[in-house]
Amino acid sequence: MNGICHRILTIGRNTFLDAVRQKFFNALVILSVALIVSSRFFRQFDFGSGELKFIADFGLGAILLFGSILAVVATAQLFYSEIENRTALTILAKPVHRWEFLAGKFLGVFLLLAVFTALMAGILGIMLYWRESSLMDRYGDQFGGQRLVSYAGLAGFAVLQWLKLGVLCAITLFVSSFSNTNLYSVVVSFFVMIICQLQYIARDSWESIGNPALKGLVWGLSLLFPNFQMFNVGDVMLFPHDATEQLSAGTPWMIGGYGVVYIFVFVGLAVFAFRRREI
Amino acid sequence: MDFKRNIWLQRAYTFVVCVCALLLIGLIVSPLQRKAWGEVRSLQPELNLKEVEGALGQGLVIGLLGGFRTIIADMVFIRANVYWEKKDREKTEALINLTTAIDPRPMFFWLNGSRIMAYDIPIWRIREAGGLDDVPKSVQDEIYQEQAQRGIDFIDRAGKYHPGDYRVPLEKAQIYNNKLKDTEKAAEYFLQAYHSEDGPYYTARIYAELLRQMNRQQEAYDFYRQLYNELPDDPQANKPVVLERIRELEDELNTPAMQRLPAQPGERYLPGYMQEDLPIGVKTPFGDTQVPPGEIYPYPEPAAPAGHSH
Amino acid sequence: MEAPAIRIHSLVKDFRIGLRGWKLRAVDDVSLDIHDNEVYGLLGPNGCGKSTTMKVVLGLLEPTVGGCEIYGVPSSQVKSRLNVGFLPEAPYFYRYLTGRELLKFYAKVCSVEPGKIKPRVTEVLEMVGLTEAADRRVGTYSKGMLQRIGIAQAIVHDPKLIILDEPTAGVDPIGSAAIADLIRALKAQGKTILLCSHLLAQVEGVCDRVAIMDRGKVVLEGKVDDLLSKHDQQSLLVDTFPEAARADVEAALAKHGAKLTGVTTPRISLDDLFLKHTGKGGPKQS
Ligand SMILES: Nc1ncnc2c1ncn2[C@@H]1O[C@H](COP(=O)(O)OP(=O)(O)OP(=O)(O)O)[C@@H](O)[C@H]1O
Ligand SMILES: [Mg+2]
Repeated sequence: MNGICHRILTIGRNTFLDAVRQKFFNALVILSVALIVSSRFFRQFDFGSGELKFIADFGLGAILLFGSILAVVATAQLFYSEIENRTALTILAKPVHRWEFLAGKFLGVFLLLAVFTALMAGILGIMLYWRESSLMDRYGDQFGGQRLVSYAGLAGFAVLQWLKLGVLCAITLFVSSFSNTNLYSVVVSFFVMIICQLQYIARDSWESIGNPALKGLVWGLSLLFPNFQMFNVGDVMLFPHDATEQLSAGTPWMIGGYGVVYIFVFVGLAVFAFRRREI
Repeated sequence: MDFKRNIWLQRAYTFVVCVCALLLIGLIVSPLQRKAWGEVRSLQPELNLKEVEGALGQGLVIGLLGGFRTIIADMVFIRANVYWEKKDREKTEALINLTTAIDPRPMFFWLNGSRIMAYDIPIWRIREAGGLDDVPKSVQDEIYQEQAQRGIDFIDRAGKYHPGDYRVPLEKAQIYNNKLKDTEKAAEYFLQAYHSEDGPYYTARIYAELLRQMNRQQEAYDFYRQLYNELPDDPQANKPVVLERIRELEDELNTPAMQRLPAQPGERYLPGYMQEDLPIGVKTPFGDTQVPPGEIYPYPEPAAPAGHSH
Repeated sequence: MEAPAIRIHSLVKDFRIGLRGWKLRAVDDVSLDIHDNEVYGLLGPNGCGKSTTMKVVLGLLEPTVGGCEIYGVPSSQVKSRLNVGFLPEAPYFYRYLTGRELLKFYAKVCSVEPGKIKPRVTEVLEMVGLTEAADRRVGTYSKGMLQRIGIAQAIVHDPKLIILDEPTAGVDPIGSAAIADLIRALKAQGKTILLCSHLLAQVEGVCDRVAIMDRGKVVLEGKVDDLLSKHDQQSLLVDTFPEAARADVEAALAKHGAKLTGVTTPRISLDDLFLKHTGKGGPKQS
């Protein structure tokens, strides 16, 4: 057991280092940081607290967008470089199970995503805090003496976002485990992501569909793909005072649990599909 | 058939196992997901697909639905602001409409948009038509009217996504007041803003002042009296200003002393307009000097009366 | 009796090519036993199935028919690889790591005791002659250096069985001579080595036994000495050989019923010439 953990961690760490030392990752990080920081300079809105929402929206959008790109491209890239460079051969020729190899790969990218979301959320938090402080001086009445942004909410949301990106990473790993080219798995994974983002439409509408065959199909589809819209709780978590309704305390945990379950499921399926692949 | 040798059987097997596993998990987590999603869903406004599809290609719609609507809307709005700086009327207006179609949630899109339409664009249009000095007054008025109406129509749509938000009627009231000079309508919407949840206190005062402008003093007085009763003792509520107005109106209407609002604790001595003609028989703590109902501070208050914003 | 280091029994490996599942038989009914502490060479033309055989032995590919065992443990089990090191052909490693970091990583994956990793890595680097380049990124290595670091990662955890797919491809003659020496040293330490190579001269020098494959089949197998010696002929080495002496020799041979079939000038090998002129002063990368 100890040995297994040790091997997975070693492979994960190596994957993480691999990613961090690649230019692609660094470029993406710099781009996202620039985007988040620049939201401050796009325009001065004389809206007081409205501007905070704009910055938050923009920052969270940047995290989601670049995080998704990172999750998909980094996973596919790190996986295929192993296959193409035959390093997977050297690792699997050692006493390493295939599932340990995949788990290590996942862990490495998951760690990468953790660093990415933490960094981005941190920068966004600093931007918001800085702006909020100066706005509070100018438009004190809109704030009623208290801060509008919940920074604990931001941290919580960052964790949820990380889990969501983790699910995306696991999906990409699953696709990569049976697909033959890097490009193919990137495209398919993005496609699956879009379905996951959209599946709520199916989920919400299947009850109103009359045709039983179609209803069954829609129902099946909504079960097949995880619902990514569940993670869209940034507004409520960041601006709890503004929202008309509040998220109940347990909901973020439920959403997080949902993400964790799907991470395990997709990594498990990746292991299953990879078990007899010829490399 | 030999299973191990048939690649298609193997692939089908893998596929079926994966689908079954996903279905099974989907079923297992569905109670959890129903509960959490039900809650998350109730917090999100419906996406207005019809409006977006008219304005955009299919590809972007997919991207939008892909959960990136916020950032796309932000980008479009930033574009709109670029055109705003260039004073390009058509593009600014089109992009503002697109922004709110993509993501109707952020209120500042609506507010900023309606302000640009009602306040900025008429100036550009007049300038395009030849400048403030050359364009005939009637044409200018027409442009102001038209754009003000556009601003109002625009912010009206915000009401669909933000029902009960005081900023919608407030914005409308301001356009009616500042641009259309329609005091009646402006008053109506200021009152509506005041009655909305979180409606600021000052909107009520503006409402009453507009009544006064329309020479409906009695109505204004009655409203102020009621307002004075309703208002909490919150510095934000600016009760002293309301009291001040009540005293003004009592004078204007020559309200008999008995019907006037009794002296209020902490009522300030308000210099300037009541000292000369005080009602007869009202005593002050200082003796026989005739003063209005209420207390006079033992020392003169140096500060100017607060809250004369309008 | 102890199980052989590798036992391959009636191994067949088919590859599917194309969507319709056309099959290509890469290995066709191969059976081999490779004994403990033996250097075994797998020879054959390109595409005859050498690498495929090795991958099946290592459990990287599934056999279509038949199977392999390593020290009696079937290759399909992960624990069969506990004591195995492998150098794939044309290896290419994590280019962002330095040579030393790379070896540490492999040592960790193989669960070498943490305390022993550092000295072992240094030792292995010395063995393959990469000490000077150890702290450079692998991405900057030349082809031959990659090959050497590949051998290093195959032996870093001190395995009992080492499988080398073309260990000397792209390595200069000095390097290949060093690798040959290394292989002999490993054998002396009691290791078993399976290698394949196209440099037959070298194979001849290090291998105890060889198998020659062609189109997936083993066509010849046996001890190198047995396979190579022509038992019905001998050769003489003479310093100067005048015409007259030749006639005398022929006459003497004729007396015994033997015949002189030819006279040639022996040539030293190009390898030897190269080594002599570049100075076999140890590996010389910098
Ligand atoms: N993954 C694969 N898919 C399809 N065919 C393959 C695959 N790997 C190898 N082959 C085929 O199997 C045959 C044997 O290949 P193998 O790599 O074992 O040859 P080799 O003896 O190592 O040759 P070389 O000396 O060139 O390295 C070749 O015809 C090759 O085309
Ligand atoms: Mg080969």
